Amino acid sequence: MRRTLSGASTNRRNFLGLVGLGTASLASGGALAGCSKEPTSKGSATTAEQAAGVVPNFKDSTLVQPDVKGVRPMADGYVKYPASLADAVTEKAITSGKPVTASTPWWGPAPPAANKLVEAVNADMGGVINFSIQDGNTYGDKLNTMLGARDVPELTCIPGWEINKLARFSEGVHALFEDLTPYLAGDKVNAYPLLAGLDTKAWQDSVWGGKLMAVPFPTDSPYPSVLYYRKDAADERGIAAPTTLDELYDFGKKFTNADKGEWAFGDIWLEVQQICGAGGSENGWMKTADGKVVHRHETPEYKRAVEFMARLYAEKLIHPDVAASKGGDQTTLFKGSKIFMYATGGGSWKETWPSAVQANPKFNMQAVKVFGADKGKPPVRWQARSAIIWTFIKKGLGQERTQELLRVLNYTAAPFGTKEWELQNYGAEGTHFQRDGSGTPVTNDLWTKEFANQYVFLGGRPPVVVGGPTIPTYAADFVNWGNDATQYLEKNPWDGIKVETPSQQAAIEQPTQDKITDIQRGRTPLGDFDKVISDWKAGGGDAARDFYAKVLADNGR
Amino acid sequence: MSADTAVRPRRNSLRPAWEEKPTLLGQFGKGTILTVVVAAVLVPLWVVVITSLSSEKTINAAGGYVFLPREFDPTAYVVIFSGGQITDAILVSTVVTIAGTALSLFVTVLAAYGLSRPGTLGHKPILFYFLLTFLIYPGMIPSYLVVTGLGMKDNLLALILPTAISAFNLVVLRAFFMSIPGELYDSARMDGAGELRILTRIVLPLSKAVTAVIGLFYAVGYWNAFFNAILYIDRNDLQPVQRVLQQFILAGQSPSTSGAAIAIPGLGSSVPPSLAIKMAVVVVTIVPALVIYPFVQRHFTKGVIVGAVKG
Amino acid sequence: MVSAPPIAAEPRAAAKKAKKKVKAVPRRQLSFGQRLRRDWPLLLMCLPAMLLLLVFHYVPALGNVIAFQDYNPFVGDDPLEAFLYSEWIGFGNFEYLFKNPAFWDSVVTTLSITAFQLVFYFPIPILLAILLNSIMSPRIRSLVQSVVYLPHFFSWVLVVSLFQMMLGGAGLLAQTVRQAGYTPPEIMTNPDTFMFLVTSQALWKDAGWGMIVFLAALAAIDTSLYEAAAADGAGRWRRMWHITLPGLRSVIVLLLILRLGDALNVGFEQFVLQREMVGREAAEVLDTYVYYQGIAVQQWGVGAAAGLFKAVIGILLIVGANKLAHRFGEQGIYSKS
Repeated sequence: MRRTLSGASTNRRNFLGLVGLGTASLASGGALAGCSKEPTSKGSATTAEQAAGVVPNFKDSTLVQPDVKGVRPMADGYVKYPASLADAVTEKAITSGKPVTASTPWWGPAPPAANKLVEAVNADMGGVINFSIQDGNTYGDKLNTMLGARDVPELTCIPGWEINKLARFSEGVHALFEDLTPYLAGDKVNAYPLLAGLDTKAWQDSVWGGKLMAVPFPTDSPYPSVLYYRKDAADERGIAAPTTLDELYDFGKKFTNADKGEWAFGDIWLEVQQICGAGGSENGWMKTADGKVVHRHETPEYKRAVEFMARLYAEKLIHPDVAASKGGDQTTLFKGSKIFMYATGGGSWKETWPSAVQANPKFNMQAVKVFGADKGKPPVRWQARSAIIWTFIKKGLGQERTQELLRVLNYTAAPFGTKEWELQNYGAEGTHFQRDGSGTPVTNDLWTKEFANQYVFLGGRPPVVVGGPTIPTYAADFVNWGNDATQYLEKNPWDGIKVETPSQQAAIEQPTQDKITDIQRGRTPLGDFDKVISDWKAGGGDAARDFYAKVLADNGR
Repeated sequence: MSADTAVRPRRNSLRPAWEEKPTLLGQFGKGTILTVVVAAVLVPLWVVVITSLSSEKTINAAGGYVFLPREFDPTAYVVIFSGGQITDAILVSTVVTIAGTALSLFVTVLAAYGLSRPGTLGHKPILFYFLLTFLIYPGMIPSYLVVTGLGMKDNLLALILPTAISAFNLVVLRAFFMSIPGELYDSARMDGAGELRILTRIVLPLSKAVTAVIGLFYAVGYWNAFFNAILYIDRNDLQPVQRVLQQFILAGQSPSTSGAAIAIPGLGSSVPPSLAIKMAVVVVTIVPALVIYPFVQRHFTKGVIVGAVKG
Repeated sequence: MVSAPPIAAEPRAAAKKAKKKVKAVPRRQLSFGQRLRRDWPLLLMCLPAMLLLLVFHYVPALGNVIAFQDYNPFVGDDPLEAFLYSEWIGFGNFEYLFKNPAFWDSVVTTLSITAFQLVFYFPIPILLAILLNSIMSPRIRSLVQSVVYLPHFFSWVLVVSLFQMMLGGAGLLAQTVRQAGYTPPEIMTNPDTFMFLVTSQALWKDAGWGMIVFLAALAAIDTSLYEAAAADGAGRWRRMWHITLPGLRSVIVLLLILRLGDALNVGFEQFVLQREMVGREAAEVLDTYVYYQGIAVQQWGVGAAAGLFKAVIGILLIVGANKLAHRFGEQGIYSKS
């Protein structure tokens, strides 16, 4: 009755998008690279050797020396805005006069249709791009439908975490999108010099079935999660950031004061696993020193992490809202000093800090320097994929149009320090931003309204870490933290191979996670852990191990 | 009327003469229950409204919802209504809701009446045809193919036609139609009235309340719908209001909060306190509901006397 | 006002009269042609709705064939061919569901929630409508009505978070209890009381909304029946029993049957949101199970198979419930004929 009264019988899947669970499952499950599978699929994998021959040759497009050099794969940081900007693309990208259709995601209110920012960039490009701005949280549903109905625009931007949710993408990609190998492989990329400036690993990550299928948007930092804490509150109370698991527990004890509505932690599960040293960047899988393929579930480090979490929950050191609901708004709790430490994506740093500082000038959000569970036991840092978003060109548009579209993508790949980068990121000077004393663009309300990262998502760009007037230390803080952490980055033996897990094996993931959650929350005793893992092995875990091992063997690794 | 109604006791309520005086206990019990029920709704609603009018600072200090008003900060509403899209969207949704409700009600009333007499030709199969839609759903891709195949992409019809009929509304309306005494039909038919005339002159006037309710159900359905817009509407100026409001609600849900290693430029730079905006959206959503309900309620007046029509 | 029709002396008889339905049209005696000639206007009236549903519901519903396929949207030359040329795997998708005990666990959980809500949710909107109808002051009545139906417009995310704000571990209640020096009860995270929790959430959100249709039914009851009954000396409880409830009965039975047909649907979002707080055992309903085992892992065929399974169960339950209704002398959704 409840459902039917609404009168509309739309598919229920949309709820997930709305709740943000589509992406939230990444955080809760720890299954960082998802997997696509069908009832009978055997899984598939693009081999690294295939990928090697088709990627463009790298040619650095960086124009400005960074203030804080990033240790790769960490991006460079810029504290100052460059005084003079280069004009990287002098010829018009669009020459046919034909409007380009494009689909991009956005996590915020869609910009108005009459849009001066889009007009300004379009004018600089010499043509028109008609954007269909899709709500990032429901984009997966839209993509599955568009792809299944084989109705795609000329440029389709697909985030990596959505690709994991698209049915049979490894087949669909070839049915719907143009093979870019003939246009970009090796030195051919020289026709598009700014695309040549994108990281080689990101290009390798854009190869499906031995063909270069997309232009990548390289990842900002290699870390899927960062452990943040309120440095201002910690300094005030004279509590140091933890450097061992025991100290982390002490931090929790010292900061939790339920009577005052304060709890030390938000969700820190992702980080606790890495602190304890449980590896497995490839969907939980890793290769041990003696050459065995194991899943992090099976390691003693993982078990220790589960035990630690169970202790935190049992002693109520995690905020009840976070413990209770996926909708728990950690950011607000963190800004409001209701929690003092939580783990989330690297991007959150820049998204949370500026507005918090405006409300509370003392607010200081810092990443906890990476540490291991015990003194002398190093942590493991999972490594995210090199490309996080891809832009695909529709198949069968003809050589000329494809080249024109690649010129558009070349334009949007302009690096930091160019006029094009500034125009795409800040809009037109005087209309969307003013410069402050140091020459840094300060955006206005019109920019907030019109900007939806339209162009930036299209073409990728060499990633950089840039702060802003309200958070002057951010760029240095982030890059320095990331540089230090690179020493612990796990080497992923499947790196550069596009692994698609067979169907049965992905379906066991959720029930296993559920049982592990039950243990953490104290609903089932810790003693059940071994049984959960042996069930997992029998239920498909061992089969998945064979699959992943075979992929490695096939690639001679 | 019966004799005793003529003797009107002294009273100032609207209580009909024949109804006995309420007992003190009954009054107290009813009052208590209704107060509890209303409070259970109003307290959270109060929190929603207050939070929508709070600044980021207040919300942060409260760690979320705000109970006591500290200030009057309309920023959230300003942000929503200066978003550029919202005015277009309100217009779109108004058109869709009015046109859609009119169409749905028209078609549903006809069908409900057509099905209101068991034993007519094809009665049972047709009824099952409708009921089955209650149980079997179409898939997303086939629906998309049909709608785009009919050229309805970026067309407001795509927001109306696919959800025009609700089997639930249809059978409820039908049940009410069926409860109208059969003698009324018989006498009308004897007077030579056609089916359409019976429907408009007898059945509908006697079913004002339920028709208004079904109209409300449809209207609320159209006003709240957004999923078909995700699939079928790409143009920014044709988005319905719920879709635009959803985007405000979800604005805080960037992929990075879910562990993606990506910073979305622009997301952190805007001032709007996200929870205030979410709550303002809730308030904005509720306003049309408050506006429309009195029109429906008007038809709940007691004392529709069947005999009045008959005589 | 025109005078009321003559009312039988006994209230019971009066109620019976009010309930008297449209007489079933006799059909056995007439030939097809005769019936067509008689009933074509009615058929014509059903036609627009049928056409709309044909185009926008039944044609796309043919896509449910993927329940018997290993559906691959990219075989064949166009998306339609994909529905024809995907590999046909018989009942493989059904087997995938049925062989897993967790599937049946979720079915049991779903059905127990439905049963629980039939007792503790279903009657509330009816009682609320009757209560409200008995309030004389139109101002109070309209105020209460327009307030209690508002939560229907709240999303589940909001409802859950409002409950969390009130009853959660850091909520208003818990902090008050803490301030008083006691340990707050765990309301939102207790698997044992989860059914109470979800039902009270559903009540809070939708009882006022569900009430509306009963108010409409109450408005359709002939007031003169009450008057006559009162004249015959029937008190308010007797009037409720003999006039009000019979007047609502057909709607109640109808909604009850439809709810039974929907027995395997108890909502999705509400459970996905609260799954982690109470664990899978308490909160895994059929829809969430199918989501995690089918749709979320791109096994759309499994999702479609689950949909068909629900449809078959739904049909069986509706037919069964309708039969039962006939036993009790009710019309149900469709007549016995």
